[in-house]
Amino acid sequence: MKKTNSSDISAQATLHLFPFDEADYQKILSTALSRGGWLAEIFLEYTRFYHLLMEDDIIKETDESIRQGAGLRVLEGEKAGFAYTNDFKLDSLLKAAQAARAIVSSPPGQVAIPPLQQSRPEHSYYLLQGPMPASLADKIKLVKQTYYTALQAHPRIKKVRVSLVEAFQQVALINSDGLIITDARPMIKLVCLAIAEAGSRREAGFAGDGGRVDLSFLDKHNLAQRIGQEAAEEALLLLEARPAPAGEMPVVLAPGQGGVLLHEAVGHLLEADFIRKKTSIFWNKLDQIVAAEQVTIIDDPTIPRFRGSYNIDDEGTLPQKTYLIQRGRVVGFLQDRLSARLLGQALTGHGRREDYSHLPLPRMSNTYLDQGEYAPEEIIRSIKKGLYARRFQGGQVEDSGKFTFSLSSAQLIEDGKLTVPLKQVTLIGSNLEVLRDITMVGHDLAFSHQIGSCGKEGQTVPVTDGCPTVKIKKLTVGGAL
Amino acid sequence: MKPTAPPQELLDLATDLVNFALAQGADEVEVAIGQGEEFNVDIRNQEIENLTQAQTRGISLRLIKDKKSASASSSDLKRETLEELIKGALGRLELTQADPWNGLPEVTAPSFPPEKLQLYDPKIQEIPIETKIELARQTEKIALQDKRITNSHGASFSSLESLHILANSKGFAGAYEETSFSLSVGLQAGETDNRAEDFWGHTSRFFDQLEPPEEIARQAVKRTTRLLHPRKIPTQQVPVVFEPEMTAWLLGFLFVCVSGTAIYQKTSFLVDKLGQRIAGANIDVIDDGLLPGKLGTRPFDREGVPCRRTQVISRGQLNSYLLDTYSARRLGLNSTGNASGSGVRPNNFHLQPGSLSPEKIISSLDKGFLLVRTIGHGLNPVTGEISRGAFGLWIEKGELAFPVAEVTISGNLQDILNQVIYIGNDLKFRSAVCGPTIAVEGITIAGN
Repeated sequence: MKKTNSSDISAQATLHLFPFDEADYQKILSTALSRGGWLAEIFLEYTRFYHLLMEDDIIKETDESIRQGAGLRVLEGEKAGFAYTNDFKLDSLLKAAQAARAIVSSPPGQVAIPPLQQSRPEHSYYLLQGPMPASLADKIKLVKQTYYTALQAHPRIKKVRVSLVEAFQQVALINSDGLIITDARPMIKLVCLAIAEAGSRREAGFAGDGGRVDLSFLDKHNLAQRIGQEAAEEALLLLEARPAPAGEMPVVLAPGQGGVLLHEAVGHLLEADFIRKKTSIFWNKLDQIVAAEQVTIIDDPTIPRFRGSYNIDDEGTLPQKTYLIQRGRVVGFLQDRLSARLLGQALTGHGRREDYSHLPLPRMSNTYLDQGEYAPEEIIRSIKKGLYARRFQGGQVEDSGKFTFSLSSAQLIEDGKLTVPLKQVTLIGSNLEVLRDITMVGHDLAFSHQIGSCGKEGQTVPVTDGCPTVKIKKLTVGGAL
Repeated sequence: MKPTAPPQELLDLATDLVNFALAQGADEVEVAIGQGEEFNVDIRNQEIENLTQAQTRGISLRLIKDKKSASASSSDLKRETLEELIKGALGRLELTQADPWNGLPEVTAPSFPPEKLQLYDPKIQEIPIETKIELARQTEKIALQDKRITNSHGASFSSLESLHILANSKGFAGAYEETSFSLSVGLQAGETDNRAEDFWGHTSRFFDQLEPPEEIARQAVKRTTRLLHPRKIPTQQVPVVFEPEMTAWLLGFLFVCVSGTAIYQKTSFLVDKLGQRIAGANIDVIDDGLLPGKLGTRPFDREGVPCRRTQVISRGQLNSYLLDTYSARRLGLNSTGNASGSGVRPNNFHLQPGSLSPEKIISSLDKGFLLVRTIGHGLNPVTGEISRGAFGLWIEKGELAFPVAEVTISGNLQDILNQVIYIGNDLKFRSAVCGPTIAVEGITIAGN
């Protein structure tokens, strides 16, 4: 199998993966625009995945897969024509270009395609020091470390499952503005599931890490052991956990993982497609104050090594750190090309797609609530009875702004102290209320583990969320009666 | 009414790859090839928003040698790429370990003839693109005529024609084609800061059986507007009525818990419960891959095991897990023909209907909560615990009184299965997992 060192991933090498030349691209783009339209675009992808699974004390399964394909898009007004194929033949791409132009009904005549110019991303946010993929022997060693760390953490740990995924996604974007640009994106994800048993009670703990790095990063930072330890600790803690009380109460978000609340409650509704379609409650709130003064929310695809980062977005735009809410005021939206054009706003580099077979959409990357001035202990001390939200499974938001998210682990706050561990808690609220109800923001900004993904309209993309310790005056907690 | 014959080149490719892998030293080989032709159109505010057309192919390989297993897949179908993947997989086996339960299933019985299962509608090749666009446009148009509807997420029509080929070194070779058509619309009602949303859609294997635009629009409007101006309610326990879509959601969770994968991994609360009573005597749950024309129907599973009818729960007793070959061997059982390639999948997994109409169920409750949608992630198969955000309608003296939002429901699947007080007669096979309206006691609704 071919190994790729950071040094060989030149833009040229990525472009050469695809068996076409400039004349071919010109021909495909001309075909796509032969009835008109303001943009024709070729998205080429070649991704290799390597997967390793350890269970029952053995390296049980390995998998290697190749995803290759081309997505052809024609934009005319607000319409998108799209076609894709996984056959890298000129004929297949020309046929796709014809299918993509089907949305254009009245031919205004040929649109000229300017000469294609290869450009490059300005920065790389990927940390590649070793080969991608790493050698199977190195991967097995790391996976075993995680597995046995979890299994040997405590006699109550009865079962462990560890999986390691490496992915290397190489993409090229060629469009009728004359752009040719490539990106070669590494990704690693190491996750551990640990099952603990006590009597008839059984609980599962999860942990994981990774990001836009190669295997040597995990090794260097001893992440294998840490992940195994954390998964075991969570499972053990849950054995002691009680059902949560139900009802309205103050909630403190633990630093890092609590960012998913902002992602769900606020981030999605600031994606510009929902703004231009007026389906988001924020569509008419640009420049308005919607949150408490201490609330600043940022989406930044340029944080080195993070899962949500990229050197170009999936439309070839350079990514930008984007302020969404600044000191309580709505200041920006996450844009793709179509939404930016229709709203008359600048591009932010947030047009992302799951793969070649999907249309790009405005998406979050690494989203976080910026830090404030309170010490975390001070925040917890301010609460007589409340909930400390520690580990998050994920959440969902409705157009109405109502959101829910699930905690796999939480703790009761009583008289300013963390007390009983709680399990399987659901929080539900309404985003405008929560934004106003954020009363204290800590100075301890942290990020979730590098294993998160976000789904929208059937497309999943890697993301990271972050926040410091945050106090929310009240939320509805769902638990047992 | 017969589908077209699968392309000979793909059948040959499958056989050639089996032979190539055997020649390279594999003990057992499985090759699956999929081919699809997709169409989708989204209409929003009566204009085309997206129109997608695609043809795709993909191949998956599984190799076993000395009881070790490795797999590979590719959407690049060039012979040299696939041969490299086979060699790479065999190379990796040098460093991995034997698992005594690995192995392909023996071919024991012929599978049901695909043409008798009504999986394919030859009409798919004749429907003009304009008709497809018009169906979506009409659906949205009718929905937007209702004054209470203030915005549209758009209406969509999609069609999919797919071919599945499976060949293995045990001598299995099979292929079938299937079609599906979907029509749906998503709507908003109310003003910006006080909105309700919902959607409705239908999927059918046969174009002529697809619900018409009028029906899709009517349901979508009804579902969206009934949630306008919701109230919060105090935390309490009342009977919860699950609409068929919600029963399907609950059964989806039950499916995870009865799947052989979760059982052997001990990630289900139903481990070691075979033969025991796990539900009320009124509960019968069946998985039936041979129901003609339904969405979860198929002649054989992803390993070539013939699909069949499996009584999973019989009068409250857990009769069978749903298994692929691997999980079956680990548990000392036989495959139930539910292999998906990476675990198990449902083949028309459903709760048997009762005799009451859904109206009768609601009218017989003094107080209750009609659950229409849940959101969030709170399902824990290890313990059976459920905790989700919920939307619904309050039931007062047998009638729907007002919409409710910002509540969560929580309970345990095992308790819920034992506290089903009414089962409706309205089972429709709208998805591969489905059920009728049910009413359940013992669920906590948390509000303010």
